[in-house]
Amino acid sequence: MTGAAIAAQVEQNQRAFQKQDNIFVGKKRVLGKKTTLKESRYYKSVGLGIKTPRTAIEGTYVDKKCPWTGSVNIRGKLITGVIKTTKMKNTVIIRKDYLHYIKKYNRFEKRHKNTPVHVSPAFRVKVGDEILAGQEV
Amino acid sequence: MGISRDSQHKRRLTGGKKPHHHKKRKHEMGRQMAMTKIGAKRIHPVRCRGGNMKFRGIRLDTGNFSWGSEVCTRKTRILDVVYNASNNELVRTKTLVKSAVVQIDATLEHKRRLTGGKKPHHHKKRKHEMGRQMAMTKIGAKRIHPVRCRGGNMKFRGIRLDTGNFSWGSEDAAPVQRSSSVQKKIAARQAEKIIDPNINSQFDTGRLLACISSRPGQCGRCDGYILEGKELEFYVKKMARKKK
Repeated sequence: MTGAAIAAQVEQNQRAFQKQDNIFVGKKRVLGKKTTLKESRYYKSVGLGIKTPRTAIEGTYVDKKCPWTGSVNIRGKLITGVIKTTKMKNTVIIRKDYLHYIKKYNRFEKRHKNTPVHVSPAFRVKVGDEILAGQEV
Repeated sequence: MGISRDSQHKRRLTGGKKPHHHKKRKHEMGRQMAMTKIGAKRIHPVRCRGGNMKFRGIRLDTGNFSWGSEVCTRKTRILDVVYNASNNELVRTKTLVKSAVVQIDATLEHKRRLTGGKKPHHHKKRKHEMGRQMAMTKIGAKRIHPVRCRGGNMKFRGIRLDTGNFSWGSEDAAPVQRSSSVQKKIAARQAEKIIDPNINSQFDTGRLLACISSRPGQCGRCDGYILEGKELEFYVKKMARKKK
């Protein structure tokens, strides 16, 4: 089996057919042109000076919540944090540490917030990685 | 009303309870499911928030289905619900919902297949195939634009004309017939045409597999697209596995 066929089997593990909505799956070969990719892939650039990862362009995964190959837009806040747990499918919990100032004592105290963050299949992450997350709707 | 779409009744992300500090509000309201079935068309209009209308399809029997690679959309009868990714119950009760896989009547698409359609593209547009804007000749003071065409020949694009040479004579209108060159063209298209064998085999049974892409309970219409390529293989496999 070709690599593409194996990959296709791996990603089609749901009860519904996984596909990118913007790509027409049944398209016949047009203009006799040989594209480097076996199937056409939709990807976009996210803006804010962030490069789209090669794995997003070349990958075969289907994730509607991926900023590059899905239908979400990044706007608003950008958060950085350290990954705490990666046990969920496609999402991680990041921990954001910060210092809070107490005026009376002129001192700081440590505080932290946990935020669940969606991770595109374009990335392979593990606990302890530092992440930049963007806000979406 | 009983059904509400609020999040006040749900727990927080941390697991803590939210205090119930107001009654249910009208803007949080939900309505009963449509559970659109196959049958003689019955649609209930619903007045919604802002005065807008939703058309709750209660029973539907036809839909506008498009055949993507042939670029052809026809209104066809829906025959049967065959697969639903979310719920097998919806297949058993033959409920029409978005992204349900249905069988549609193949006769109109069949006609399309026989009369031919778009040819596959082999090359980019060539200059000798070029067309120009229509002249849209109007009545008025004579205005003609000469155009240099292929081979150095001239065409005289009439922009406005006011006189013409008319002959007196009566002729019976000939019945519309396809000239032999047109018939040859259709035959050539047929020869070149490649139809996916998976879809071709469906024509024998007279039923095509299609996927619903509209929301019958919201717009009262059951429109969709004919399954092709990888998607078709996927669903055919799923249904075969079910049958076992």
